[in-house]
Amino acid sequence: MTITTGDRPPARPGAHRRHTSRWVAGVALVAGAALVALLASSPQQTATEVDTPLVGQAAPGITGPTLSGGSFDLSAWRGRWVVVNFFASWCPPCQQEQPELVAFAYAHRSPGDAALVGVVFDDAASTARGFMQSTGASWPAVVDAGGQIALDYGVRGPPETFIVSPEGIVVAHFDGPMTNAGLDYWLTRAKRGDV
Amino acid sequence: MNAALGHTGVLLSLAASVVGVAVIAYGLARQRPEVARAGRIYGGLVLLGAVVATVAMERALLTHDFSIAFVAANNSRSTPLLYTITGMWSALAGSILLWGLILAGYIAVMVWRFRRQAADPLVAWATLVALVVAAFFFGLMAGPADPFRTVAGAVPANGLGPNVLLQDNALVAFHPPILYLGFVGFTIPFAFAIASLVTGRIGEGWQLATRRWTLFAWAFLTVGIVLGSWWSYQVLGWGGFWAWDPVENASFLPWLCATAYLHSVLVQERRGLLRVWNLSLVIATFSLTILGTFLTRSGVIESVHAFSDSDIGPLLLGFFAVVMVTGVGLIAWRGDRLRSPGGIDSAFSREGAFLVNNLLFVAFAFVVLLGTVFPLLYEAFEGQQVTVGAPYFNVMTLPIGLALLFLMSVGPALPWRKTTTATLRDRLKVPAWIGALVIVACVAGGVRGLGPLAVFGLGGFAAAANARQLVLSARGAHRSGAGVWRGLVGRANGGMVVHLGVVVIAVALASATSFGHRGEVTLRPGQSATSDGHRIEFVGLAQVRTPARTATEAVVLVDGHGPLRPAVSQFGANTEAVGTPAIDSTLEDDVYLTVDALPVRPGGPVTIGVTVQPLVAWLWGGGLLLVLGAILAAVPGKRRRRPTDPVSAPVPVLHSGDGSTGSGDVSAPVPAPERSAGPRPVRSVEPGDDEHAPEPVPAGSP
Amino acid sequence: MSPVGRRGAWRRVSWVALAAVIGVALAVGASRGSPSPTVAQRVQAIDALVRCPSCEGISVADSSASTAVAIRDAVTARVRAGQSDAQIDAFLVSRYGPSILLRPPVHGATAWVWFVPPAALVVAAAGLTMELWRRRSRAPVAVSAEDRALVRRAQAERAALSGGGPEVVRAP
Repeated sequence: MTITTGDRPPARPGAHRRHTSRWVAGVALVAGAALVALLASSPQQTATEVDTPLVGQAAPGITGPTLSGGSFDLSAWRGRWVVVNFFASWCPPCQQEQPELVAFAYAHRSPGDAALVGVVFDDAASTARGFMQSTGASWPAVVDAGGQIALDYGVRGPPETFIVSPEGIVVAHFDGPMTNAGLDYWLTRAKRGDV
Repeated sequence: MNAALGHTGVLLSLAASVVGVAVIAYGLARQRPEVARAGRIYGGLVLLGAVVATVAMERALLTHDFSIAFVAANNSRSTPLLYTITGMWSALAGSILLWGLILAGYIAVMVWRFRRQAADPLVAWATLVALVVAAFFFGLMAGPADPFRTVAGAVPANGLGPNVLLQDNALVAFHPPILYLGFVGFTIPFAFAIASLVTGRIGEGWQLATRRWTLFAWAFLTVGIVLGSWWSYQVLGWGGFWAWDPVENASFLPWLCATAYLHSVLVQERRGLLRVWNLSLVIATFSLTILGTFLTRSGVIESVHAFSDSDIGPLLLGFFAVVMVTGVGLIAWRGDRLRSPGGIDSAFSREGAFLVNNLLFVAFAFVVLLGTVFPLLYEAFEGQQVTVGAPYFNVMTLPIGLALLFLMSVGPALPWRKTTTATLRDRLKVPAWIGALVIVACVAGGVRGLGPLAVFGLGGFAAAANARQLVLSARGAHRSGAGVWRGLVGRANGGMVVHLGVVVIAVALASATSFGHRGEVTLRPGQSATSDGHRIEFVGLAQVRTPARTATEAVVLVDGHGPLRPAVSQFGANTEAVGTPAIDSTLEDDVYLTVDALPVRPGGPVTIGVTVQPLVAWLWGGGLLLVLGAILAAVPGKRRRRPTDPVSAPVPVLHSGDGSTGSGDVSAPVPAPERSAGPRPVRSVEPGDDEHAPEPVPAGSP
Repeated sequence: MSPVGRRGAWRRVSWVALAAVIGVALAVGASRGSPSPTVAQRVQAIDALVRCPSCEGISVADSSASTAVAIRDAVTARVRAGQSDAQIDAFLVSRYGPSILLRPPVHGATAWVWFVPPAALVVAAAGLTMELWRRRSRAPVAVSAEDRALVRRAQAERAALSGGGPEVVRAP
């Protein structure tokens, strides 16, 4: 049996080896920098316009009973701009946006150029009705039995808002609480065909 | 009052860490050891400040001091005492305070433990690095994540109370602090790693001296992860225990790196190899804890755990970048000094197995990291959202998990340096047959599916192989008159117990995910139905009202016993109702009940979700084994090493030509009889270091 | 045949038997019962791969949220109507976008997430193997007489400490 010591003389660092470690370190650094850059540039989760497959497509139908006991059919509103708002009384951002929606509905009532319709998302009719009444909202709110309307619109969680053109095409989809000014801005752009 | 006290504490800690850094840096720059030594009292001051701040926070919570914004947002007059106390870590700012407290505790213990070597530049550098980390976190609290910010305007009469999910299970009191004990604990090995790179004293075994700190942090992280998974199983109501959620992944990443390190550091200790690699793992582990905190706290990635609305994200990301650049830069700079003398002789050796183990763990971590950040990558390049969910992780990690199970069976049977097929055959014959019999028994018992059968078979193999080592070790200890328990303690034996725990967890995971089934039954009071072999009888509804909680409970009997009370609960007013599951847990399977739909009108039918998953309870049992193993591993085992024992430099092959080292006892490749009394004098010296004369490192010695 | 040879043959047979037992058991165990899945099984399999839109990262199969229930109902209806898995996925993607699928597609830009880790593992394993092979193929270092004396002295100390042991220093 032989005595074997190290495979290489320990006293003299090999130049090749050193380069390897620098090279690996360089690659690690670049990968890490890319990760940091990626994370730094990621948008924070705030209310924004989102690009979903429905944008540019015909708006799925919305028919059903309303909270106030009537019935609603979206196709009867063809010829106007329609803002479709999915909401629930238990969701804080919905509570936050509700006064803004009330202001929007009030501002557009007399011109009649745009109308608002709510769709109840996963909420009991009684609490949703109480929510609408206590905030002074007077637009129709449709009861979505079985969540089929939400599924047709690809809604993940309230509040989500869609702008539907007079021709019945979905032109924009928003995730998160809206403001009166924001809705007006997008509506103006939509009317120009700029979305 | 509370706010003033809290601010004082935070500022004291911040000032102490900044001044400490400055003093130590001055001492090091001027090479005045007595100044560098003086820096260590700042560790105590940091702890003092952190304790003052924590006391102020708890006092504010207990007295419902709603003038502090954090208390107003996370406490209310009706919050029960336990959740009032745990309110400290139920939101961002308070959880940073908990982080600061634990970090300060670690630093104080560190300076106390190494007080006799405080003048050593290496210890001084480590203290400096730890204080820099502390300065960062207390800086966060002094600035953007101030837990003691006062409310603007009038003081509210009542607060909002903690998040509803954080107030219906007592595990909330344990999971975050224990997880943080793990996360933060990696700071100390990191500090020593940086210190040894800066000073260039790499081969002296400081890394080995801090190995036990890593083990400690690893054990707490393990418990924290298991408890977190138990908590989510009991609270979240979907019957699962691991969702590959970004935050779960964020805690899992450092765990994977630390686990790889705990194995590969043995190769360094025994053979002096893999030094660059080990330092990289220590630094990667710490960096990943910071990255994980960033992912949790910045809202970049959607997650159940994400605390929204914080502006500390960029700071954490910047800190992560600094840590990474420093670590990688130092390793590149010192790369030449880190070279190990010698190499690995054979892939079929213990060190070969550890190498493959590291490859697999790093691949595992890479899969988890890539899957977690891929949605961001995709959105950056494709402008569209994509989900990388549990099915991806399950598919990708199953082969790695199977390979690790296999390695766990073979690894402990492999001697150091090299082996012969005869040795391997002798040691693995019985375990291999046990594994085969497990597969046969499972197939005979009606178990179908390649994946779970492979896990069960390899699990049997691994369990038998590791149990064999334990038995041999215990028998050896008994024969040498040291008592059977001596054969169960120590690093190698504790490791075997940890391995058994891992096998139990793997078996539980495979059976619960492969054979679990979720169903629903819709029943009127008094009716019953059968779901997955269990008879579910719905007795009726009950209303429960306490100051903190209003709930509608469904009273349910499972197989005639119970009653179990799944419920829909509301915590406080105007909050979303959440489901509260009820679990009938046995060793064989868990029946997990949720109320999926309450009756529309009184007396109507209620829909009960019934999830039946076999062997879920084994997960928690496996977790207990992991803890037990870690404790056994921390108890000093055989005193084997003496300064003259071969460590890093390859030494003559001592054994005559049977090709096997030792007599089957893994832990004694160089048989050295027990010394009669007294602890080993110096444990972490590496005589093989080629650039420095070995200096005794009395780190772990009395 | 010598006894040693016979023992070797017997060993070989026992390992072949082991492999055969495992192979047969796995072959039996891998065969699932019914060749064509029932509607419920298909629905369950599809549901497990669809993300619950209003939850955090769990599938609609695991959730009782209203969105999950709606999707489960839609999937059941479409399976009954005879649609293929791909058609159902396409329908859901047309509503919610690709992020509704928990498992990223194996084609297109998401293929990276599937192929990069195995490729990286293969590259790393190959690099490691080459490095080890390179090291092993290098000639062992010449050992001076001084080195040997040093080792012998250390071992003598050891032997004295432990009262003699099996270690023997052998000269080449």
